[in-house]
Amino acid sequence: MNSSPQPPRFMLRFFRWFCHRDLVAPIEGDLHELYQQRVQARGKGHANRRFMIDVLLLFRPSMMRPFQPFYFINPYSMFRNYFTVSIRNILKYKVFSFINVFGLAVAMSVCMLIILMLGDRSQYDAFHEKKDRIYRVLSNYKNSRQSYATTAFPLASTFKAEYPVAEETVNLTPGFGGDAVYQQRTADMRGYFADGALFRVFDFELIQGDKKTALTQPYSVIISRALAQQLFQNENALGKTFDFSDRQLSFPLRHDGTGSPAVAWGTFTVTGVIDESNYKSHLVFDALISASTQTALIAEKKMEDQSNNWEGFYRTYTYVLLHPDHTRDELDAALQDLAIRKYKNFTSETTKDFKLLTQSLPEVQLDLKGNDTDNRLPRIGYFFLGGLAIMIMVLACVNYTNLSTARALTRAKEIGVRKVTGATRRALLTQFLSESILTSLLALVMAGVMLIFIANAFKGLWVNQFLNFELPMTPGVYVAFVCFALVVGIIAGAYPALKLSTYQPIQALRNSGNAGHGKLGLRKVLSVSQFVVSLLFITTSLLIYQQFKHYLAFDYGFASHNIVNVELQGADYEKVSHVFGTVQGVSTISATDIIPATNRNDNCQLRKVNATGDYFSVGLLQTDENFADNLELKLLAGKKLPAGTSSARFILVNEAFVKQMGYATPADIVGEAFESAWGKELWEVVGVVRDFRFKLLLNADVVEPLAMRNTANYHYANIKIISPDVMGTVAKLEQKWKTIDNVHAFHYEFFDDQLAGMQAGIFDLVSILGFIAFLAVTIACLGLLGMATYSAERRTKEVGIRKTMGAGDKSIALLLSKEFMKIVLLSIFIGAPLSYFANNLWLQTLPNRVEFGLGILVSAILILIALGMLTIGSQTWRAARAKPVDALKME
Amino acid sequence: MKKYQLGEFEEVVTLTVGVLFPDAYGVSVKLEIETRLARKVSVGALQSALKRLEEKGYLKSSEGEATQERAGRPKRFFTITALGKRALEHTKETRDSLWASIPKMALQTKMIGL
Repeated sequence: MNSSPQPPRFMLRFFRWFCHRDLVAPIEGDLHELYQQRVQARGKGHANRRFMIDVLLLFRPSMMRPFQPFYFINPYSMFRNYFTVSIRNILKYKVFSFINVFGLAVAMSVCMLIILMLGDRSQYDAFHEKKDRIYRVLSNYKNSRQSYATTAFPLASTFKAEYPVAEETVNLTPGFGGDAVYQQRTADMRGYFADGALFRVFDFELIQGDKKTALTQPYSVIISRALAQQLFQNENALGKTFDFSDRQLSFPLRHDGTGSPAVAWGTFTVTGVIDESNYKSHLVFDALISASTQTALIAEKKMEDQSNNWEGFYRTYTYVLLHPDHTRDELDAALQDLAIRKYKNFTSETTKDFKLLTQSLPEVQLDLKGNDTDNRLPRIGYFFLGGLAIMIMVLACVNYTNLSTARALTRAKEIGVRKVTGATRRALLTQFLSESILTSLLALVMAGVMLIFIANAFKGLWVNQFLNFELPMTPGVYVAFVCFALVVGIIAGAYPALKLSTYQPIQALRNSGNAGHGKLGLRKVLSVSQFVVSLLFITTSLLIYQQFKHYLAFDYGFASHNIVNVELQGADYEKVSHVFGTVQGVSTISATDIIPATNRNDNCQLRKVNATGDYFSVGLLQTDENFADNLELKLLAGKKLPAGTSSARFILVNEAFVKQMGYATPADIVGEAFESAWGKELWEVVGVVRDFRFKLLLNADVVEPLAMRNTANYHYANIKIISPDVMGTVAKLEQKWKTIDNVHAFHYEFFDDQLAGMQAGIFDLVSILGFIAFLAVTIACLGLLGMATYSAERRTKEVGIRKTMGAGDKSIALLLSKEFMKIVLLSIFIGAPLSYFANNLWLQTLPNRVEFGLGILVSAILILIALGMLTIGSQTWRAARAKPVDALKME
Repeated sequence: MKKYQLGEFEEVVTLTVGVLFPDAYGVSVKLEIETRLARKVSVGALQSALKRLEEKGYLKSSEGEATQERAGRPKRFFTITALGKRALEHTKETRDSLWASIPKMALQTKMIGL
């Protein structure tokens, strides 16, 4: 038998599958016999073919096995029945259904917001044809806190030349930001140096110009459509030339700021125009200048030569297009090999264990790295928001579970009847699950409406001006929503379905009243956990709000009221001071390079002259002679900074500086000289001022040492206004600004607003957490409301009897709420210490923190008790007040 | 006339089963029809005809021995039942009486007509 040829197995299996049980053996025998005869006569191939034809011809109704009985039942009618029963149940218990739907909807809308955010971000850089093969190279060294999105300049060319795994590499080097001038029109222009490889990796299309040649010649530039519109208005931009002077404006992250004095870079020719509005990308730029321009600029000494600098890895972005025949692992290995070869000879701290890592384009969208190209939500942000959303979702699902199992008694009879008439457990599971899925789909509709408001609120957050979430509704997002609703329905309904379907029909039909399901057990645990989480959220948001208020009301140690900070934008301060000084309503004017207590700092390394010890890191402010007076800094010893250009060797220091350098009193340090680690220049202390905050409150707990120095290198003018008509004075200043600089617009901010603005991020956090706390409490209270309602309904008769026997309203209300008050109290008992310790964990790491007094905790507890009482009370009171006659009459 | 339902192919199969008695099973019936009538018979057509005939009660079957060339599957032998015999007779009688009723002229004119 082994030797004889066998017919094709799959055909045989097919035949056995469809053929009628009674016929299969003899017919298969016939087929085998015929097969062997045909093999003998005409060979195996012919026999195989004929065998297949025979089997296919046997595949006819008379030969087929009968269908299994259940195949004949039309499942549609069964599902329709589930649907009908679900609808009836939802309509019959309107309060429960509303609580379930509303609770789920609230939580789902928050989750949907996260889905929207992910959906929004996933649209970024989706237009590149080779997006699956594009990788960004990251730099990482031993003790770095994070990986950097930037790499060394020579990496791209070296890697492409030496490793075949890269089909193409491209360098994007930020390095210009300044004024483009064309026939008296000026526009801000910031962007990257790039070469033609850019277009071989990425798929940016030019609306004008040829992308193959646009970035070859030196001094050629591709500009964005917005910039073209600004510079050339309706003229055809292609081939036009304009002058560019660089002011080192920050790029790719656009801080406000001032940059340095303009350096003329020469005349640039427009070789292409790109319509940036077509592209959602993490690469945003006004212009792309050909990489060959760098060589020319280096020759003119307007730029440093980085082309062989492997140590400076913060200069340029490198993207690799992976060769189609290679894998990412090979790419990683090749980069690691290169890193080891190139960096083994460097010894500095930032090249220790140097690693080159990769990030695919989708990873780029969701993971912010150091020196990144745009502001977007870092991965931790998604985890944080996602964590909150999931927590809320769990609370809502717990609600559903709780209410559904609480109603088990009501459903028990239905389950009993269904089981007796032949429902299998699987059928019951399907029924309950279809009910929960229907509920979650209803919740989806409601959540969709809520989402409109939540999404708008989110877009309005301060932080979103950096994150640029537009949250568009795309078809993909809708599909995700529906899938999400289905999953939620299954998760929420799983436990009740499993539990309810196990009921024994006998017990269920006998309906002994409380067959063990009246006990709270699991439900109590779930309810308690809901309230514990709620309490945690309430406490946290109250605490952060306190912290926010604390920061807002913080005494910085200087006067910021009615001071307007004006960006100099390269203008001469002497002139500005002179012109603004004539404006009516202006009292004093001073100048500084950094606005204190905002997010920028400067440092220097100082030690006592002729000392041998370590240098101390000291904060540095470059101010003019009026700064201390203008901000009402209190002079403790010595005198203020002198005026004039020769005053650069004098410094005004703070108390912390005195202490740091080891002097007993402020008076002792006046006249002492200090040397700087870099310049070896000597700085002489002329005076000491009282400590004031010059760093961000969030960053420094105590005031650190500070030196103020007058080097005439200013970026801002601080203008104090005494006129009661503050805005009018600012308008006058703006008028005057035009006489100083008619190219750049007047940029000003009130100092108070700037300081408050630094706390805007915290306020966002308060808003988000407060909102989540609100939702958590709402959901928990809804759950409690549902259970209290149900319990009150179940005990109507008991209440009636008790009342006839002479029980008072109050004692009845107490009786009914006792169970639930226990839940609330138990959760406070667990939740209060938990929230105290959990919040102290993060609070202890925060500089300038508020006192976490019991006050916050007590008010959180009071809120919870009040809400709990209100919820339970509304139901129990109603039940207690009901007329006993009505309760007893119904049967 | 509806008393005995027997199609043309069914009639051929039943007659062949009779011819091959007692060795009528799937393959032998198929080969017999193919050689005698010089027409191709697929296994599917034959088996469904056999099944139909059995359901109508014209044939009955019994399981036979299994052989190696049949991969250990039994043969299913068919024999004609009494009802089957009557159905065959009925068909034959109907045909005969129809033959007998054809006037000689009819066949002759046809030949002239050709």
